[in-house]
Amino acid sequence: MRLGVDVGGTFTDLLLHDEKSGRTFRAKTPSTPEDQSKGVANGVQLICEKAGIKPSDISLVLHGTTVATNAVLEGKGARVGLLVTKGFENTLHLAKSWTPGPLFGWINMEKPEPLASLQDTRGIPERMTARGEVADALDEDAARQTIKQLCESGIEALTISLMHSYANDVHEQRLKALVAEQFPDMSVSVSSEILPEFREYDRAITTVMNDYVRPIMIRYLSRIEQRLAEVGVTCKLHIVRSDGGLMSAAAAAERPVHTVLSGPAGGVTATAMTARRTGLNKLLAFDMGGTSTDVSVVQNGVPEISRSTEVGAFPAKVPTLDVKSVGAGGGSIAEVSELTKSLRVGPRSAGAMPGPVAYRRGGTEPTVSDANVVLGYLPSKLLGGDMELDVEGARQAVAKIGDSLGLTPEDAAQGILDIANEVMLGALRLITVQRGLDPRDFGMVAFGGAGPLHANAMAELLGCYPVVVPANPGVLSALGFLEAEFKNEFVKTLIRSASEEDEKKIWDSFTALKAKAQAWLVEQNVDEADQGISYSLDLRYEQQGFEVSIPVSADAVESRSGMAQVHKDFHETHERLNGVRFDLPIELVTLRAVATGSTPPVDETPPKGGTTDANAAIMDTQKAYFNGKWYNTPHIDRDRLAAGARIPGPAIIRQYDTTTVLMPDHYADVDERGNLMIWPTAKGA
Amino acid sequence: MTTSVDPITLDLIENALLNARYEMDSVVVRIALSPVIREQHDEFPMICNEKGQMIVGQFGSYIPAIVEQFDSDINEGDVFVWNDPYACKGSISHNNDWCVMMPIFHEGNHVGFSSIFGHMVDVGGKVPGSMPSDARTIWEEGLRVPPVKVYENGVLNEGVLAIMLNNTRTPDMNRADLMALIAGCRVAAQRVGEICSRFGRDAYMTACDQLLDRTRDAMRVLINNYISEEPVTFTDYVDDDGVGNGPFKMHLSIYRRGDVAVIDWTGTDDQAEGPINFHIHEGLCKLFFGVYMIMAFDPKIMFNEGFYDLFEIVLPEGSLLNPKFPAALSNRLNTHTRFFDCQAGALGQKAPHLAMAAGYGTSPHFIFTGHDKNGKYFQLMELLFGGVPGRPLGDGFDGHAWWPLFSATPLEYIENYYPVLVESYKPVRDSGGAGMHRGGAGIEKIYRLLEPGSISIHDDREVVPPWGINGGLHGGTSSKWLLRAGETTPERIASKLDNLAVEAGDKVIFITAGSGGWGDPLERKLASVQKDVRADLVSVEQAKSDYGVIFDDTLTVDEAATSALRESKRAERGEAAAFDFGFIPGVTEAAE
Repeated sequence: MRLGVDVGGTFTDLLLHDEKSGRTFRAKTPSTPEDQSKGVANGVQLICEKAGIKPSDISLVLHGTTVATNAVLEGKGARVGLLVTKGFENTLHLAKSWTPGPLFGWINMEKPEPLASLQDTRGIPERMTARGEVADALDEDAARQTIKQLCESGIEALTISLMHSYANDVHEQRLKALVAEQFPDMSVSVSSEILPEFREYDRAITTVMNDYVRPIMIRYLSRIEQRLAEVGVTCKLHIVRSDGGLMSAAAAAERPVHTVLSGPAGGVTATAMTARRTGLNKLLAFDMGGTSTDVSVVQNGVPEISRSTEVGAFPAKVPTLDVKSVGAGGGSIAEVSELTKSLRVGPRSAGAMPGPVAYRRGGTEPTVSDANVVLGYLPSKLLGGDMELDVEGARQAVAKIGDSLGLTPEDAAQGILDIANEVMLGALRLITVQRGLDPRDFGMVAFGGAGPLHANAMAELLGCYPVVVPANPGVLSALGFLEAEFKNEFVKTLIRSASEEDEKKIWDSFTALKAKAQAWLVEQNVDEADQGISYSLDLRYEQQGFEVSIPVSADAVESRSGMAQVHKDFHETHERLNGVRFDLPIELVTLRAVATGSTPPVDETPPKGGTTDANAAIMDTQKAYFNGKWYNTPHIDRDRLAAGARIPGPAIIRQYDTTTVLMPDHYADVDERGNLMIWPTAKGA
Repeated sequence: MTTSVDPITLDLIENALLNARYEMDSVVVRIALSPVIREQHDEFPMICNEKGQMIVGQFGSYIPAIVEQFDSDINEGDVFVWNDPYACKGSISHNNDWCVMMPIFHEGNHVGFSSIFGHMVDVGGKVPGSMPSDARTIWEEGLRVPPVKVYENGVLNEGVLAIMLNNTRTPDMNRADLMALIAGCRVAAQRVGEICSRFGRDAYMTACDQLLDRTRDAMRVLINNYISEEPVTFTDYVDDDGVGNGPFKMHLSIYRRGDVAVIDWTGTDDQAEGPINFHIHEGLCKLFFGVYMIMAFDPKIMFNEGFYDLFEIVLPEGSLLNPKFPAALSNRLNTHTRFFDCQAGALGQKAPHLAMAAGYGTSPHFIFTGHDKNGKYFQLMELLFGGVPGRPLGDGFDGHAWWPLFSATPLEYIENYYPVLVESYKPVRDSGGAGMHRGGAGIEKIYRLLEPGSISIHDDREVVPPWGINGGLHGGTSSKWLLRAGETTPERIASKLDNLAVEAGDKVIFITAGSGGWGDPLERKLASVQKDVRADLVSVEQAKSDYGVIFDDTLTVDEAATSALRESKRAERGEAAAFDFGFIPGVTEAAE
């Protein structure tokens, strides 16, 4: 029995799957932000009661955590010491010298303190060249003294990040050994281990971020392991990585920077599962929450991977699921510019507190959720909740926006939704149109608290159908965790002109990476049948600054041939992404092997009982505003629908953890897995 | 044509245009080979309406002049290119900027233009990089291309391209960078077409007019609130013109007549013999003032040229800002930046939130060329950064970019491609002007050259320091040094020089200026001074002399001694001065 655990800002969601009976159980408990492990332990007890099992029956716990993310976002990480090459102590302070656009952007720039302060940064006499040759030998005496002084100054972790260490890590390793001699308990991260790639700032900040979150992650892991043991769980704990893969708790304690986007990973993985189950090859994941919306692309059942991301103001060069996030969500505040009278929505958010006006928690500024209330999309009483929404309050707040724009409250509410949708559309376009993908070839999976409210309108804008609303959007992330694979990446930077480079060296490097990957899979106890290794090469035209990742087949690595195909693929991909190809030398930047250990799929049980007659599931009829007029709109109880039911739009489809808006001229079918599939009437039967 | 679109559609179109404009940036940056475009974002896109007025972007619109030259022979699939500042009224201001423009059509109807210019690493002329610091005419600054069609009806004009690439030391790079600019324009054209299809062409074109009006209305309010009828004036200086003349005075008066802001540069020195002349387009001049006010007041307002009739510009003919052909232009950035310094100094006198100190004051360049051991030509060109000024919001930034979206090329990138080894890279202690909000410090970068070759340098603020404002003090000046292999004492070299021969093992010490402080340094928080001292950004001596803060041996503030010292300094000084210049040519003695 596998247990998926997703800790969110408000709730901790759990999903338990019993492989033998094919049954799944879900549970939801309030999150405990001061110590997430408490909520998790409560949830485990709850779900075991529901399923009638003992905690010791659980064979694996798969856990997505925001501990690392929150530490960076809230500036509450550890005090990190940093050893760099002498002369480059200001690498983090200078932060690539970047200031924002447009002209005079610096006037309003806010720059957070570096994750390792200048006072805790020390230069070490040594220097490596770009070719990995020693220019200045490491001064060990000076290094010992500096290490002693820094480690005794009260730092909680130490990062070593020297110039060109990706090309030769001898000095970094020696420093690590020197630290271990004097301070065996000091937590140390080494840049050539965390990110063996060139670009000194990116490598340093990523490695420092690892240390910044590491003591917190280690404390958290030991607490949660202890609490799980206390409630009787005897199995292993695995942590979800930012790229949707799994790592052991021990690995997470070593490299917590790989969990900075652990949170959104589950939903994307679940979208990939949905793609495989429904046969919809191309899907957009649309996860709209309270303050932001995350979108990503799944093609052929596989999510896209990105190798750089941002956590707050800081870049992190780690593999992540390629999720684009924008500051528009249910809590985004609408306001009218004093000077231009233009309507703006977000990125300012009312969050959970004070929240939208309608939630009666003290919010006074109109939000996207209030606009949904005004238009009748959000029912005045939420299912499963005791809360009665303040419809009149929401309407008054939205009416103020209307007054300054000369619009009725309904049209102002519609405007707020249109602007919010446009912001999200920008993010969806970025991951499709801007990458040469046609959104009309895609469907869309809607989840997150507000996703199903907006998905139909988004699909109409982009032309991406069907909209899939999974049976349990609230536990979608936890479901994704259950099917996550073991995963790790092994990379080597080799900045060389491809034409000059002896091909032998490339294949030798791949062979070496393959050996590392295989060793890791064995170490993680992955059965041979479940093992997989894939390869890729990051290429660019000589002197470009951005690389394109091209897959290399396992056969090519095995037979040590096939570079011509890789080059051909590079030219074609560059043209698809950027509209041009050049007749210029190609440059190799990074070789990569990704090791995976697959896990068995979750067999979901189809919905039982219920009715295929949508009319029989109507709970209520209320008015809702679409296309400039009010419609009498049925509210439908989703739990009463059986597979095969068809609902004509407009309709509001309600369930425990979300509300789906079905627009006029659309219909929704319930498929055999319980998904709602929304199509435009013109397209369908 | 419809007369107006509803406010929500207008906002949607505005968002869609902004997205398209940012997409232009990302396409160009992804494709370009030159680090100047890619890492330092020296490229500027815009989208215009069918009349050639800029709807979104950040530079002046010159398109009507081009359209006129072609007598409306402008068709779908045409792409124009040019780089001659004198042929486009200064919309671009030196030959290194190649400008690309294409008309946008929707279903056969002309609906607008997209355009981008970007800095090419080399466009020929007598020195690598094409910016000779001793040029006396534009004939020395490389190939000048008047507006021509590089694509006609979608077909590449190979001849034009061949001529352009035959006149640069870096043809492969320029070809890719030009194609990047064209790809950026094409993506804008595609997006505008999609917006027309989605909202209707009429609605789109009407919305463009409304967006112009909307920005104009906002600007009228800002002008009336923050520009007085009584003139305010400001004077600042460019050190020299690279051929031995200077300092050059720039003098600005600003006042309001009705709704119109008058920007008068009368009193600015005559054009220079050397290449520091800034041939500025009037529209660009208006845009710079407008953007400055928008950024300080409400940065979400979309920049466009709707407000151009609310500004009147006086650029005396034959002056530094309106030079006569064939004056040399390549190093106009010094004057360009001093333009902004004068703007901040003048506007800040009447509106506290527009008061920013002066920054490092140009875009410092370092160029190193030669042939490596294999006989292969190399040309490193790098922009450096310095102190970003103290601001109402807080401290300035040490060694950061004054210019938008620029970022430093990774040292590991430079060392992978060029025969240099950077020995150190750090902020210059005490070069940030003291202030309640400290000015950013300048940068010191030490290059060890690994091959023989020659170097060129462009910088300024070596003589006239960046001034402080509202009680803030001036920042440190720039300097350049050459330490010959085997020597122990570096020699000082000029801040503007070309083709200085160097040998393997020589070291160049490149120091940029800091920036001025904002507000009274005697009011700066003790914790902030202590932090700066411990990070070696401010010395114990400067903490005492400029901030009135006394430290003990553990670098901890002695609070009692500090408050006594601050008290006596206040009494001695009286009211803090509005500006602190450090050195005013012809008025005070040079510092140092």
